[in-house]
Amino acid sequence: MLLEIKNLHARVETKEILKGLDLTVKAGEVHAIMGPNGAGKSTLSHVIAGREGYAVTDGEVLFNGKNLLELEPEARACEGIFLGFQYPVEIPGVSNITLLKAALNARRKYRGEKEIEPGDFLAWVRDRAKLVKIDPKMLSRGVNEGFSGGEKKRNEILQMLILQPTLMILDETDSGLDIDALRIVADGINTMRAPERATILVTHYQRLLDYVQPDFVHVLAGGRIVKSGGPELAKELEDKGYGWLEAA
Amino acid sequence: MSLSTYTERFERFAATLPAAEQQQRQAQFARFLSSGFPTRALEEWRYTDLSTYADRDYSLGEALPSNVASECLADAERVVYVNGVLNTELSTTSRWHAAVDAPKTLRDGLIALNAAFARGGLNLQLPKNERLAAPLQVLLVSRAESSAVMSHQCHRIELGENAEATVLLQFVGNGGERLATHVIDITLAAGAKLQLYRLQDEGSGATLITQVEVQQARGSQLRALTIDLGAAFVRHDFSTDLAGPGADAEISGLYAPRGTAHIDNHTRAVHSAPHCRSRSHYRGIIDERARAVFNGKVLVQPDAQKTDSEQRIANLLLSRRAEVNAKPELEIYADDVKCAHGATVGQLDETALGYLRSRGIPQDAARALLLRAFAVEILDRITWPALAARVAAGMNLPSEMPLASLDEVMA
Repeated sequence: MLLEIKNLHARVETKEILKGLDLTVKAGEVHAIMGPNGAGKSTLSHVIAGREGYAVTDGEVLFNGKNLLELEPEARACEGIFLGFQYPVEIPGVSNITLLKAALNARRKYRGEKEIEPGDFLAWVRDRAKLVKIDPKMLSRGVNEGFSGGEKKRNEILQMLILQPTLMILDETDSGLDIDALRIVADGINTMRAPERATILVTHYQRLLDYVQPDFVHVLAGGRIVKSGGPELAKELEDKGYGWLEAA
Repeated sequence: MSLSTYTERFERFAATLPAAEQQQRQAQFARFLSSGFPTRALEEWRYTDLSTYADRDYSLGEALPSNVASECLADAERVVYVNGVLNTELSTTSRWHAAVDAPKTLRDGLIALNAAFARGGLNLQLPKNERLAAPLQVLLVSRAESSAVMSHQCHRIELGENAEATVLLQFVGNGGERLATHVIDITLAAGAKLQLYRLQDEGSGATLITQVEVQQARGSQLRALTIDLGAAFVRHDFSTDLAGPGADAEISGLYAPRGTAHIDNHTRAVHSAPHCRSRSHYRGIIDERARAVFNGKVLVQPDAQKTDSEQRIANLLLSRRAEVNAKPELEIYADDVKCAHGATVGQLDETALGYLRSRGIPQDAARALLLRAFAVEILDRITWPALAARVAAGMNLPSEMPLASLDEVMA
């Protein structure tokens, strides 16, 4: 089992957002998590990745059998978790390439491997930058500095391709993308699909799922998974909205 | 205020001087006795209190042996002073050493103290059109063994018309309690260019008072960069008078005190002539229980039309107990001028820190990357690679991926 979430309760300040959420993800699977605004989709992604500002009050999250909740966010990343941000952060003064190298080497160090050779690193980055159509010149600029919305999302995918995580959580990576950018992002995700990896797509819309075929679709409402099904559930949601589920 | 230990030390020092010099020194010391150490009652010293120094006992520094090999920058000529005494063995040249007259205007008690005790120092005089072939590293070492030690020096740099030089004043030291004062007088003739670095990475026992006064003639260019990393207590006054049309001054600095250190920077750009340009860019990173003071004054005289001046100060407070007082001060008596200024105080960007950590970068390393990003605006102005490396090492900053290799491989 790659990821097991049991009875997860989490709050932001005094507000309880997740109220007993269960989710199991096996290697090789793609799960889509859909749901209305404010249902707790982003909270779920952030709690898994270990971002600050969330208090887990009950339940557990196991990753490869390890208790994820007691790990620092950087350790979770080194264990193989990658969160694609809904709003990627701009960091002037830290170049993209510096971030990539520091992140890649941190992961290697965590695993007891030696640092990557500079030549190998640059070749590795160059090939992946091509895939997401990012001009290598942009990599010498500050992280996401002056990037358009679409460029920021493609940059998230580039980081993912370079770091090779085993669990990819993409938090509304499709929002605000035009059709060309959406295709590039979807291609990036599909490139990473493998029997040993899993993906969680957090999304509002069916649109991304036309390009990345999920194995399971879940509806998150009121801090819990209220319905799970196959790809056909996404189409049903697109037609009927979420009202019928919340009412139930 | 007692000052009695200083009187004792002065009498002993004066006795070693030629009779002709004694009288002048007596006058300077008398001036120190009447002003004493500055107190917070003085506007210029509002945030920096030296009154407790009145009761301290410093003996006049001696030429102790010192190992500064690790501080020597390979591509520079070098003049080394230990406790104010020239060390000819460690120096690569003594051509630029001389007894230097004390400044004529004793602005405050500290300058009077310096003038009373001052010994020889750097005396760099370049005639018209001459260019210093290699940068000049002036190492000012302070060392104290069993007892507290003080040293006082005056230095002078005079560049003739269109002369050019790069000079580093570097303050290092170790051991017990030390007080050092340095007054540096600089004159730039028309078209002269001076790149002046000041690097202070003193040990924790040091009190360092430095005062730089620059006179700039027509079309002269000053690039001054000051970095404060160590010491217990630092006051640095930097003043330039843009006295000839077209004179240009870029004054920048970075201060990064930690522990309980106190670092006070006062800058002053006086626009006396029209069509001059001044820039003052400082950044501070204040950690633990350290305190920093920055006061930046721009004075535009009535004749200084078309003045172009800008002052920017940014500070990062890394701990709850760290403190900074940043104050821009503008005094403008001309009407056709451009004078911008801004001062900020902020904290480390937690969102950026969280983003870097989410990519697997450990917290300490992520923090160092962000500190480097903050400091880089100032650090990038160091055009002397060996010095840039020394500063980065002093700050424990990570190195950036060299981008030249990136372009090569990506092409």
